[in-house]
Amino acid sequence: MSLLEISAVDVDLPLSGSLFPSRRRISILADINLSLARGETLGLVGESGSGKTTLARAILGLQSISGGNLAFDGAGLRTAADFAAIRRRVAMMFQDAQASLSPRMSVGSLITEPLVIHRVPMPDRKAKAAQLLAQVGLPAAMAGRYPHELSGGQARRVGVARALALEPSLVIADEPTAGLDVSVQAEILNLMSDLKDRMGLSYLIITHNLSLVRHIADQIAVMYLGRLVETGPTAAVFARPLHPYSVSLIAAEPRPDPRKRRADLAIRGEIPSVLRRPAGCEFHTRCISATTRCREEVPALRHIEPGRMARCHYAGALNTNL
Amino acid sequence: MTALLEIEDLSLRYHVAGGTLQALRHVSLTARAGEVLGIMGESGCGKSSLAAAIIALLARNAEVTGGAVRYRGRDILRMSAEEQRQLRGRHIAMIFQDPMTAFNPVLRIGEQLVDFQHHLTGVSRSERRARALTQLQKVGIADADLCLRRYPHELSGGMRQRAAIAAALLMSPDVLVADEPTTALDVTMEAQIIHLLRELQTDYQGAVIVVTHHLGVIAELCDRVAVMYAGEVVEEGLVDDIYHAPQHPYTRALLACDPAAIHDLARRLPTIGGQLPDLMAPPAGCSFAPRCPLVKPRCRSEAPPRVLLSVDRMALCHAVQA
Repeated sequence: MSLLEISAVDVDLPLSGSLFPSRRRISILADINLSLARGETLGLVGESGSGKTTLARAILGLQSISGGNLAFDGAGLRTAADFAAIRRRVAMMFQDAQASLSPRMSVGSLITEPLVIHRVPMPDRKAKAAQLLAQVGLPAAMAGRYPHELSGGQARRVGVARALALEPSLVIADEPTAGLDVSVQAEILNLMSDLKDRMGLSYLIITHNLSLVRHIADQIAVMYLGRLVETGPTAAVFARPLHPYSVSLIAAEPRPDPRKRRADLAIRGEIPSVLRRPAGCEFHTRCISATTRCREEVPALRHIEPGRMARCHYAGALNTNL
Repeated sequence: MTALLEIEDLSLRYHVAGGTLQALRHVSLTARAGEVLGIMGESGCGKSSLAAAIIALLARNAEVTGGAVRYRGRDILRMSAEEQRQLRGRHIAMIFQDPMTAFNPVLRIGEQLVDFQHHLTGVSRSERRARALTQLQKVGIADADLCLRRYPHELSGGMRQRAAIAAALLMSPDVLVADEPTTALDVTMEAQIIHLLRELQTDYQGAVIVVTHHLGVIAELCDRVAVMYAGEVVEEGLVDDIYHAPQHPYTRALLACDPAAIHDLARRLPTIGGQLPDLMAPPAGCSFAPRCPLVKPRCRSEAPPRVLLSVDRMALCHAVQA
């Protein structure tokens, strides 16, 4: 049984900010279907504005959904009480680790705060803090420090310790390595892998860093403008992406090898505004293989190969070798 | 190729609470016309201090303790504030990491691009506006006329960075310093900005200096690379040599741990281990010795020699043989 089940989830928002109040709603997410098995890591990728963070907020109950169903460990999530009940079991690692830590609290208080909030008995707060710090490879003396005294990598580790305090089953990590040096990125990834093995965690990793996803995720889901455009096992998607958007994303990553410089541009233009959603396939405005059909007919997310889906009229038929 | 900018044995320290921080130690580098020089390093290695010195925009608590930054033979660090001001923007221009902070938020892009030409004499306002328009078109902004009338916040991140590049190139500076030019952008926009910088480079006669921690960006853009560690240039060479035949143990370790460089799925990535030395009290010997896999007793006591391997190639290491 899967730990997290996202079925046909839609998120609409009322159009605000215009001079005249309107009943019009804009579609932010539509028809999102994903499932995450216990002990599995799912990487959610796409550019800014693709809806990754909105989906994470919906899973946590911070953004109400307009359609579809969410279920955690077999139980449906509908009411605020449902979400409150899972909050002990789903933890969040925020994108800006330093900013997510209250500047006036010591590291020791910060990492044990989730236990206090959830009234988990804690006979010795100091010992608990030391244990949590040890888990993420930080010395116990770090408990007395304040967030501004931490380096980027240390702040990230404190964020991990805080997320793990309640021994969750699922950790949602929003850009876990953004802004970190490469050597520190590798350390954080290794730490996340170790903790997953030791605690049987599942991860939902939100990122636009594909080289990160390649090494940590079992499954990958590519989003574009609030729609899933491709899902499948990470290795298979990287070896032969089915959707032209996945191809472009993979090809856009600068490669640390001057002998493999890209001669041409992998992708042009920018992600359109959700207010001006292109007709037909949403990606057709930037797709090098777009045809008349793509401009008119909305493609469905369909099975192309066992375990792999793509939302493209020509998925499987395009030459997408990298 | 003529040397436009020569950094000679530059040492710089910051006065901070509790002592002085040795941010740059004996840095020597040359930027030549028609060439892209990459300055690569992790947080705290001194690359931003070096960029600030090149454009004579040092923090108030900075003190140059030795050496010079020569632009066409003159030491810009010993010029008067007025001379430095005349130099900045006109002869040496900078592209910042966050294009939002590079522009004044309450003025339209057009007004700012006109103001940036204050160095020009005998040119009318309409001519300046026309020059601004041409420059925006050159950096790939399709509706340049509309862009001139926009406020910075109305542009997307990618457009803003293009506009910032146009602003930097307005006066055809001899030296262009780009400090983390793609770090704030999505991977697709990053690819486009790299492409743009490469295109502009073909008809730009000056020297470009790219400062970044992103190994992929250096590999895509630069001709020559200087690797910095703990305030020193530890290795210098042609981009191909640095990536394919690194000599300094730090360069090797850094390249090895980049997740983007590891093609096959790896659950555990290599790391460097240890920490940067305390720059308040830099080690007597080699600064990388505490983390170096090849460390010998003399590395800890004796400063490493600058080993010249060829005209363009240098490594600061006891273990490297000339």
